[in-house]
Amino acid sequence: MTAAFTRREFGIAAGASCAAALFRRPADGAPPAIGAPIAADEPPAREASWYRKLPEGRVECQLCPRGCQVADAERGGCGARENRGGTYTTLVYGAACALHIDPIEKKPFFHVLPGAQALSYATAGCNVECKFCQNWEISQFRPEQVRSAWWPPEALTAAARQRGLPLLAATYSEPTVFWEYVRDAAAAGRGSGVRSVAVSNGFIQEAPLKDVLPLLAAVKVDLKAFSERFYREVVRGELKPVLKTLEVIRASGVWLEIVVLLIPGLNDSEAEVRALVRWVRTNLGTDVPLHFTRFHPTYRLTNLPPTPLATMERSWRIAKDEGLAFPYLGNVPGHAGESTFCPACGYRLIHRIGFEVVENTMAGGRCSRCGRTIPGVWS
Amino acid sequence: MTDTLSRRELARLAVAGLVATAARAAPPVRPGRVGVARLAPSPGHAPIGAAAAERAVAAALAAATGSADGRAAVAALFRPGDTVGIKVNCLGGPRLSPRPELVAALAALLAESGIPAHRIVVFERSSRELARAGFALRRDGGPFLCIGIDNDYDREPSTSGEIGSCFARLVSTTCTALVSFGVVKDHDLAGVSAGLKNLYGVIHNPNKYHDHNCDPYLADLANHPFVRGKLRLTLLDGVVAQCHGGPAYRPDETWPLGAVVAATDPVAADAWAWRVIDGERTRRGLPTLAEAKRPPRFLATAQRYGLGVGDPAAIVEVRA
Repeated sequence: MTAAFTRREFGIAAGASCAAALFRRPADGAPPAIGAPIAADEPPAREASWYRKLPEGRVECQLCPRGCQVADAERGGCGARENRGGTYTTLVYGAACALHIDPIEKKPFFHVLPGAQALSYATAGCNVECKFCQNWEISQFRPEQVRSAWWPPEALTAAARQRGLPLLAATYSEPTVFWEYVRDAAAAGRGSGVRSVAVSNGFIQEAPLKDVLPLLAAVKVDLKAFSERFYREVVRGELKPVLKTLEVIRASGVWLEIVVLLIPGLNDSEAEVRALVRWVRTNLGTDVPLHFTRFHPTYRLTNLPPTPLATMERSWRIAKDEGLAFPYLGNVPGHAGESTFCPACGYRLIHRIGFEVVENTMAGGRCSRCGRTIPGVWS
Repeated sequence: MTDTLSRRELARLAVAGLVATAARAAPPVRPGRVGVARLAPSPGHAPIGAAAAERAVAAALAAATGSADGRAAVAALFRPGDTVGIKVNCLGGPRLSPRPELVAALAALLAESGIPAHRIVVFERSSRELARAGFALRRDGGPFLCIGIDNDYDREPSTSGEIGSCFARLVSTTCTALVSFGVVKDHDLAGVSAGLKNLYGVIHNPNKYHDHNCDPYLADLANHPFVRGKLRLTLLDGVVAQCHGGPAYRPDETWPLGAVVAATDPVAADAWAWRVIDGERTRRGLPTLAEAKRPPRFLATAQRYGLGVGDPAAIVEVRA
């Protein structure tokens, strides 16, 4: 017998501990207790918000660009939505399979309340299948295959408030597949001073995106590459809708940061990185933080090496050369690329090592030396 | 007398050994051949009776394999040392799942061939689905085990072509031989759900692999060593079949096909199902599956992989 935990078991144990610490079970006969395990054979079902009914009991999901047409008793590609007799249902509303308190830098957001902690939650399921997924043990499983606990939106907000946490972060798997949960948690938090952020692949239709965006303080989008081929072969998604999402978020005024995971040989060529950077500059502007993060072998890409530091630094330089004001590096602890520098005077404003903010000299959203406005959510 | 062997004797022995090994290692496969036994549905969905079920399963097996009877067919396909997993497809609920009495009939034949009850495992994705379809869950005792995979999957994914999945440990680790026991029904995306589509239930993430009429994903799954190396037999409960509106049960789209189907060629079984479903659709004035933009194109891919005969026109139906 081994005492080691799998990542999934560890997440569940951590979530359960968190739940136990924050809440007591109500008396017998009361509704399901906050944090109570959800029976694997009967995940909670609630009518989905973005779909339309088709003839013969079929439905069309209008949440993500896949637009799954789903027959009775079948599920969409995400595995988290099921057609039950002509009614499309989400099986993950309130069903948190991961619940942790993380530094906001871990998402990563570098321009959102530096040093703040976020109550971070996720459910099972994802609408793409990245072969390099770091969280595949929850994202690539169906709800009944992952142990989850009942954390309705109000409970998340209450938990954050109780712990003095200013942020809720929908993250780890893919918030799009639990978008109703994100919406209601964000709405609940708004009334009580807890702001919501989402960490997404951006593979979402415009209508549901616009429905929920006004409730969010910030969105981080994983731009997984700058080629349709990569999206088709490695992600099982599409690039074009993700670019549209980036434009919609940027136009909405909600704070946006972008992460690009550089994978050796697949999306890290100088030409592709430069094209991506130029697209960001042209379509989103120079003030959007662009994080290049380092790949580590996992899931179905265990045959590739970690990204060489030289590739990371080359990409960082390309972003700077092309005029982006806030390029960053991730998964390279101690590198200067983790810190925020004033694009006007070059002064180091926020010194980070890993997810730790070592020093923050920002002055009310401005450079403390030259006064240049630094965009972001600072207070 | 000498103990040494001449070169010729040694060669003969070696050849005999190779032949014997090959005969034991490779259960017989009849490419393109499908055995069909008649079994009329009971009025009012009543159980069909154990004796009738046993006769039909045995007859279908004999027809599929060319063996003298069901017992001989099973003895040729399985060995007493096997652990046999029988994957049933219960998504359609009690009216559109393999009948428990047919599954029990197969289990009885396996037992007769020397496989102990604890190494005959009837399984489905979840215990709940099994119970809903009328199976008695059983982890010990009785003529065979009957369990849901529930959440017992491999911890790491395994790749075959386009699919990357965690397999049920029953399939990857426990069982040495597999039977796909499906039904004969239309499927909204795959076109046909019979023997191969049933196998989506052995991986953790089938929802990822329904694009393009499940092609090449179903063929990739069948080509994975866990399946290709173990799948010995496909059985289909075609007593009542469904030609439209699948995979869920739609009573108005069913018809009394009255067949129990067996094949050692898993692709041929599905190609046969395609043929009869299209036949019924045509009779009803429905578009064929190809016209409805859901041809089971995974069958052609499976044929290209060398897994069997995927052309419905090339299937040889042997009636019992």
